[in-house]
Amino acid sequence: MLRRHLLALAAGLAVAVASQGADAAGKIKIGFLPGVVDPFYQVMQLGVEKAAGELGIEVVTQIPPTWGVAVQTPLLNAMVARGDLNYIITAPTDKEQMVPTLQAALDAGIKVITVDTFLGDGDYAAGPVKFPISYIGSDNTEGGRISARGLAKAIGGKGIVYLMSTNPNVSSVEGREKGFKEVMAKEFPDIKVIGPEYDLDDPAKATQMTAAILQQHPDLAGVFGTNVFSAQGAGAAVVNAGLGGKVQIVAYDATKAAIESLNKGDVSLVLAQKPFDMGYLAVEFAAADAAGVTSLPKRVQTGFAIIDKSNVKDPAYSRFIYQVPGK
Amino acid sequence: MADTAKANLEVAGSSGKTSRSRELVYRLSRLWAWFFLGVMVLFFVVAVPIYNGGSVNFLTVRNSQNILVAITPVLLLGLGQTFVIITAGIDLSVGWVMSLASVLSALAIRESFNAGAPLFLSVIAGFLAGALGAGAIGFANGTIIAKLKVPAFIVTLGSSFIVRGLSLLWSENTTVIGLPAGIRAYGNESLFYLIRGEGGGFYFFAPPAVTGDMLRRMDRILPYPVVITAVAVAIAIFLLRRTQFGRHTYAIGGNVEAARRAGIPVDWRIIQIYTLSAATAGIGGFISTLQYTAGSAVIGDPLLLASIAGVIIGGVSLAGGAGTVVGTIIGSLIIAVLTTGLVELNVDAFWQFIVVGAVVIIAVLIDQSRDIIVGRVREGS
Repeated sequence: MLRRHLLALAAGLAVAVASQGADAAGKIKIGFLPGVVDPFYQVMQLGVEKAAGELGIEVVTQIPPTWGVAVQTPLLNAMVARGDLNYIITAPTDKEQMVPTLQAALDAGIKVITVDTFLGDGDYAAGPVKFPISYIGSDNTEGGRISARGLAKAIGGKGIVYLMSTNPNVSSVEGREKGFKEVMAKEFPDIKVIGPEYDLDDPAKATQMTAAILQQHPDLAGVFGTNVFSAQGAGAAVVNAGLGGKVQIVAYDATKAAIESLNKGDVSLVLAQKPFDMGYLAVEFAAADAAGVTSLPKRVQTGFAIIDKSNVKDPAYSRFIYQVPGK
Repeated sequence: MADTAKANLEVAGSSGKTSRSRELVYRLSRLWAWFFLGVMVLFFVVAVPIYNGGSVNFLTVRNSQNILVAITPVLLLGLGQTFVIITAGIDLSVGWVMSLASVLSALAIRESFNAGAPLFLSVIAGFLAGALGAGAIGFANGTIIAKLKVPAFIVTLGSSFIVRGLSLLWSENTTVIGLPAGIRAYGNESLFYLIRGEGGGFYFFAPPAVTGDMLRRMDRILPYPVVITAVAVAIAIFLLRRTQFGRHTYAIGGNVEAARRAGIPVDWRIIQIYTLSAATAGIGGFISTLQYTAGSAVIGDPLLLASIAGVIIGGVSLAGGAGTVVGTIIGSLIIAVLTTGLVELNVDAFWQFIVVGAVVIIAVLIDQSRDIIVGRVREGS
């Protein structure tokens, strides 16, 4: 339902922009600065490039090699210093620390759209941070809730589970942690949650930390990996310990590795976000704003596809697996 | 010149022509970092406008200030590291010490402000917490290295883990937020403001209250973090060149036993040097808290290797006894210019790692061959 509304919105925007004249859209230049090199953002880049190609917009892309404010900030400053960008589409790596730098970008005349993560509290209409045009991303809290219910079902409603997250103060995974713990506390009092612990978005660390927890709790029933690298790393630790299939894993983010694990039975549930939508819509919003549209929604929820063994082969669901052609 | 390698050259040199050509080669080898920086800047000045069809220029006021801001953390970490490496040591804990200082500063600022202190005093409290907290770690490092004779590599590696744990512990595993709103100005405003074009002007100390197009054309010149770093650099240059402390540093790096026999208080100097190294990292952490309006336990992690690369490219020999702070500045500048230039050429930023790595290797090779030219004998090699 929501998806159909979103598609209608996107189509309407495309028509609005096209009818205003391709010239207005063609003259703008957009900077794309996601969080880090990973399949999720690579698919988002596909969405950005598709929309930009259709609208004739030039995009300058920089993908930080590792996650962090100290890495993203110099790249952002360099993009601003170019002096030729009109919009920056970015996934801020910290909801507090990236505010001054993005505010400086705004002062320099560059409007900001955030994808996947947000600044402040994500409410750009009434919250503490109001300057970005829009926040386009999943409802991560709801995603956390769905993951909790999925994991609880897979382990039979009781046991010890481990919550593996990436970085503190990052809005996206924070929402997932919150939703997960909320549901576990309210609906499954027989399940004990260890964590959240932070692997700093490094799959190797995630593997190490999960292996340590497995040693400490040989009766561990389940793991929730809150993003691409956490799920990958935690999954690897479980399989290495020979516990594939016995310790249930719920993975956020549908990388090919996660889907392979799903097929093998090591992962029981995969939540696919829609990064392509986020990238595509962000470019559309920039073009619409440049063409004079002032009624853009400040929050767009892009939704999920919940993939498990029963529907992984169904093209309506498998299309959301994060794959980049040629990789 | 407080440079024992050059002194060796003068002592070991043979007659006339050979000695002069040796000296020329030696001088050139010391200047190659400057040369490389110049070539790189020239490359970007030419390539950036060509690639972007004239819409982007490299040598703009804003770009130059951006580069200065970008080298702030790497340079601060590199300042103390310069002293350490001149003594043939190494400090691997500076990245995490910077993070710890960031957390301590943020906590100090927040708690003192909430307890009723005026903003300026809470900023001072933050500075002291960051610098002194970091200095304490450095003092511990230096003491273990000097008194217990444990190699610096191991001590600073070990202490980096401890510091990392402390940072995560005291930040309660999250970013330290809730700092007073005025902090943003301390970290992001500047000494001067320039508004380009129509109706523009040069403003000192306070940003003019402009909006819209004039705000877009406003450049911040000499942001406060850069000013603080410049003061730290000036102090470091003074310490190294004009004080007994600096001379002793070179002496210890040249030949520890000879220094001891000459009556230099080697152990005490080593403790001071590692304390200094950690303290400059602490100032770096304090500045990052101001810039990002929050304390972060992970901010320094990616910066350690870049800071060491900057020091080595700048000509500080890993074997000790040679190097200058100015060299470290050039080395850090090379890294910062590279990052900025690559973004403006729309090249993936990870190429900077490849280039910096290659330049570090070239720097070490030049360093090695320089010693062969000079005919220098090194202890233990």
